[in-house]
Amino acid sequence: MSLDPVLLAVIANRLDTIVREMENTLLRTGRSAVLNMARDFSCALITGDNRLLASAEGLPVHVIGMEFLSEAVTQLHDDIREGDAFLHNDPYLGNTHPADHVILVPVFVDGEHIFTAAAKAHQADCGNANPTTYMPFARDIYEEGGLIFPAVRVQQDFADIPDVIRMCRRRIRVPDQWYGDYLAMVGAARIGESRLKDLVAKYGLETMKAFVEEWFDYSERRIAHVISEMPKGTITGSGQHDPFGPLPDGIPINVQVTIDPDAGMIDIDLTNNIDCVPAGVNESRTCAMNNVMTGVFNSIDPDIPHNAGTFRRINVRLRENCVVGIPRFPHSCSVATTNVGERLVVTTQKAFADAWDGYGLAEGACGIGPGFAVVSGVDWRRENDPYVNQKFLGSQGGPAGPEIDGWVTYGNSVTNGLMFRDSVEIDEQKYPIRVSEIRVRADSEGAGRRRGAPGFRVAYGPKHDEMRAFYVTDGCHFPPRGVRGGGDGAPSLPFKLDASGEQAPLPPIASTDLQPGEQLLHLLSGGGGYGDPVERETERVRDDVLSGFITFERARDVYGVLFTSTELHDGLAVDIDATERQRQHLHTARRRDD
Amino acid sequence: MTYRISVDTGGTFTDVVVADERGALTIGKALTTPRRAFEGIGVALDQVAATLGVSARDLLLASESFTYGTTRATNAIVEGKTARTAFFTTRGFPDILLLREGGKRDPFRQIPYPPPYVPRYLTFEITERIDSEGDVFLPLDEWSVRDALERCRDLGVEAIGVSLLWSIVNPAHELRVGELIAEILPGIPYTLSHQLNPVVREYRRTSSCVIDASLKPLMQEHLSALDHDLREAGFAGHLFIATSFGGSWRPEEVIERPIYSVGSGPSLAPVAAVTYAKAEANATELREDLLVCDTGGTTFDVGLVSQGEISYTAETWLGGRWIGHITGIRAVDVKSIGAGGGSIAWLDPGGLLRVGPQSAGADPGPACYGRGGTLPTVTDSAVVLGYIDPEYFLGGRLTLDVAAARRALDEHIAVPLGWSIEAAAAAVLVIATENIVGAIREITIAQGIDPREVTIVAGGGASGLNIVPIARELGCGRVLLPSTAGALSACGAMYADIISEFSVSRYAETRALDFTAVNDALRTVGARAEAFLANLADIDPVATRVEYLVAARYRQQVWELDIPVGGARLEHDADVRALEQTFHETHRRVFAVDEPGQYLECLVWKARAIAVIAKPAVAGRTGRADGSDQVRQAPAFFPETGWVDTPMFSGEALAPGTRLEGPAIVREPTTTVVVYPGSTATVTGLGNYLLEIGAVSTAGDKGSVPLRVGAS
Repeated sequence: MSLDPVLLAVIANRLDTIVREMENTLLRTGRSAVLNMARDFSCALITGDNRLLASAEGLPVHVIGMEFLSEAVTQLHDDIREGDAFLHNDPYLGNTHPADHVILVPVFVDGEHIFTAAAKAHQADCGNANPTTYMPFARDIYEEGGLIFPAVRVQQDFADIPDVIRMCRRRIRVPDQWYGDYLAMVGAARIGESRLKDLVAKYGLETMKAFVEEWFDYSERRIAHVISEMPKGTITGSGQHDPFGPLPDGIPINVQVTIDPDAGMIDIDLTNNIDCVPAGVNESRTCAMNNVMTGVFNSIDPDIPHNAGTFRRINVRLRENCVVGIPRFPHSCSVATTNVGERLVVTTQKAFADAWDGYGLAEGACGIGPGFAVVSGVDWRRENDPYVNQKFLGSQGGPAGPEIDGWVTYGNSVTNGLMFRDSVEIDEQKYPIRVSEIRVRADSEGAGRRRGAPGFRVAYGPKHDEMRAFYVTDGCHFPPRGVRGGGDGAPSLPFKLDASGEQAPLPPIASTDLQPGEQLLHLLSGGGGYGDPVERETERVRDDVLSGFITFERARDVYGVLFTSTELHDGLAVDIDATERQRQHLHTARRRDD
Repeated sequence: MTYRISVDTGGTFTDVVVADERGALTIGKALTTPRRAFEGIGVALDQVAATLGVSARDLLLASESFTYGTTRATNAIVEGKTARTAFFTTRGFPDILLLREGGKRDPFRQIPYPPPYVPRYLTFEITERIDSEGDVFLPLDEWSVRDALERCRDLGVEAIGVSLLWSIVNPAHELRVGELIAEILPGIPYTLSHQLNPVVREYRRTSSCVIDASLKPLMQEHLSALDHDLREAGFAGHLFIATSFGGSWRPEEVIERPIYSVGSGPSLAPVAAVTYAKAEANATELREDLLVCDTGGTTFDVGLVSQGEISYTAETWLGGRWIGHITGIRAVDVKSIGAGGGSIAWLDPGGLLRVGPQSAGADPGPACYGRGGTLPTVTDSAVVLGYIDPEYFLGGRLTLDVAAARRALDEHIAVPLGWSIEAAAAAVLVIATENIVGAIREITIAQGIDPREVTIVAGGGASGLNIVPIARELGCGRVLLPSTAGALSACGAMYADIISEFSVSRYAETRALDFTAVNDALRTVGARAEAFLANLADIDPVATRVEYLVAARYRQQVWELDIPVGGARLEHDADVRALEQTFHETHRRVFAVDEPGQYLECLVWKARAIAVIAKPAVAGRTGRADGSDQVRQAPAFFPETGWVDTPMFSGEALAPGTRLEGPAIVREPTTTVVVYPGSTATVTGLGNYLLEIGAVSTAGDKGSVPLRVGAS
């Protein structure tokens, strides 16, 4: 059956609307800050035969590979029925990392399993050995310690299976909060289920089935067309995660990308990488795949749909027992979504930029340092209720592209600016902490014809009782790199401030206890630059000075721009002659250095 | 004879509506004159006066009230033409306006990061800090204020917004900064965040505060000039200014809090909709929910009325959600969808037909305007399909070039797809409709409203072109299209009451409610509301009342819902349980789930003061126009029927009770109503149109292949 092309557009739009409705439900009803403030969740619709169909504005790291989750459901269970819901967080069976809980609801029409509605959300706590959802030092899943649910049935006939709920409530810190978030996820998935049924009732099952195939074909045509206009060749990119504890030399990452415009195919090879490591930073299969694909999607036309049809034209080669491949049980994937995962994204997009001018992006800031720590303790204002949650107070810089400066509230490469920030006042109301500073860290941007976004300077600490903080900084040793003559972003630096304001460096990946009066201080990275900063338009450099992103000194020394005064006001004027001379001078000096 | 006048000055047109004693409305339309509003108003007033057979001066002399809605503030913000404004912030937090709350719509699309509302070089850090519990952690260093003010003087600052952390629980520092501004820079207008919008979340409160301050010099000048011009022209009645609350204030209150005039025009469309829906049902209570649609050249505005209550929001963004600037104040919830008559149709590289987001705007406009536009738009499609009389567009002021519209559709859509021109045009309308339907579904469902159960009230010049298929796709059976649809907001201003809200932040949990603190908060806001009403005594309101609300959430949630508080005080546990019960019900309605037994976190206590003012009755049209009701018979194309001879009627000549079976087209001076096959239009006793949609399938429905009919 060939579908009316207008109907194709109409139904595709309806599916996105359903996903947005699911997301809205999760955002508004979720309990933990990581969910309802930071928006660290995603929803998706998957076909009954496990192909990703629609994901609207889900986080890249969450939605690509969502189909592996429903695949686990259909492989493990031969008695799936209407009214079931499955809880899944197993990184060896298609999940990202154990802290992302997923609710999967099979959608039945006339007794046939047609779709699966999925809601994935990062939890405030997942029962790990320590009060944090990231365990970089865990040598294996046993040391990690969290509860693992390999696509476990959690609802039957639309009602909870109390055994599973009781297990979670016993082993997850802040059990009420977990259950509130669980309800929000179930609510979202059930709304997806009910809307999908309405849609099938409206258009008929045959039409919907025809739609699915045609939509995938259309999506495939779109990406094939994009690839056909790209340069031909094989490029390789290398990156490096910072060294820490068991990995004193860091973690090298190699990405090989082959573009074949004639065949309309992109082939990505991640097999040339080291084996799994005895630490929590291994990629899950899903993360290895979706992170490298995010690097590709960052480098090509953003207007294409992102679904199973698109994925037909991207072949990702992974290897068993590889740090960026298929993890061998029981290696830990606790930190799979960030850190090494982020490095995969930025290494890939940088490879495009290195190979072809006008393509790809510089590297963006990486890691979840103290600005994004998981903090815990007790709240004296609420009868010493315990709290644990990830903070999103930090802000680190997005990478420059060939045309556009980096995005300021970038977060990191696996979420690409989609996540929200914490409100200082809401954080202080909900948790017994005080934030003392959040400001642009001047001169932290990777300079360039297009510059990276600046990082920020963030400080906060407990007010009344001891607070524990876990964090996994990256980019201290290997800051985000610029491309095509663009500069690197400033390194990411964690400190502890004592009560007198004295600052002492903290290890990049660690946990620390803070007493009232003490604070975490995080100087976050900017994103890398794209192209030679001496080619940046002087008006843009002026704007950067006025916005406090760069100092007059940096404007002069790096961008070669001088001004007629040193006063910050809207009459600030570029000294055209002096700038001309300085840029000439920088140009000559750089040629000499080359 | 006495009159009432209401005006809505949009970016392009100024609509003037005059009501006589009987309530009959006469509409005038003129080009907006941004420099001096009254010039454009005067032109439209002259038109109305001529129709009524009086002079404009006599009309003004005999007018009791003049209600003015304007996009002046909105446009000034969008164009960056507000006052040079400084932002005073708590030391350590100079980038609140840059960071906003994060978020972005499309993960893989690189877009430039938008600058903050106040530039960093006009941002000043004040040494002070108040904690979340209201304690002074760091006392106010007055020298940091004095230094900042001296610098403001040097930089020629014209207004100041002061927004310090936790001023909502302890305003002492903000108040002292206000005193220092008055002392050192007397005459410079300023806004204190806790007084304007005492909400938790520093970005929202700060954004409200600096936007408000930046509008003060401008709106003072604008409204004073209007007042002066009106008095000169003979007006001696009460001047009211429309607000984003869907009500009006006196000019001095708007000058005091000008941010409330942002979006005031669109916020009045739901007021008109409620008024018309009640009048048509001949009822004082409104039982059904309304979806209010107002179509312009570049946007399609949607508002909601739930059980007679207009929906409000605190999330109005100027310049794009998450990336623009939030007004942060509570306002009538009107969402703009980027889909108007000017939206451009195009084919993407995969061969899929798309409509928008690019728009031809007013210049060059659609191809049929004949002003150099060559790309096909929604309006061009409607012209090609025979829905718009090319000789009578905008009441005959612009003759449309049908050939140009056909050319544009042929070249860009029909030829590449191998379709007929009319099939292409019909497909463009289907996609345009779908874009609107998707957005409406998101908006209604986010409010817990099922779009199948609403009545649509449609306004705007272009809404009648596809409101029937929009309703059909939403599963909604009834559409009310007022004959004054082309000036819906101005009509709303005619029926607006005086409404203001006062609020205080006071955190309280219902598991052990601090009655003293909560009742103190309620008393504070109640007293302010009563004082506001007392100050209106000279305009002699018909009735006044105060309603109490609280913004509350379940334990550990962060997004609040506004729910009514039973009375002016909470006395007993039973009152608290009743409040919880109301919350459970609201939460279930909006989110489809609730959590009985869970306690509430209450954040902001509010009093809404309402002064009902004398308004014209809703009356029918003044009289039957001369001439035949049917003006022509011409072919029009509908997906279900192909080309079919379709009668076109002059709305002014149709008698009440007339029932038109689709296909038919009704031409009004300011709008066009397309009655699609399978639907009917009935002229109501008040001269409006009630469209009944019928169940004929369109592109949406099962098994239909709608475009094949005319495509052969």
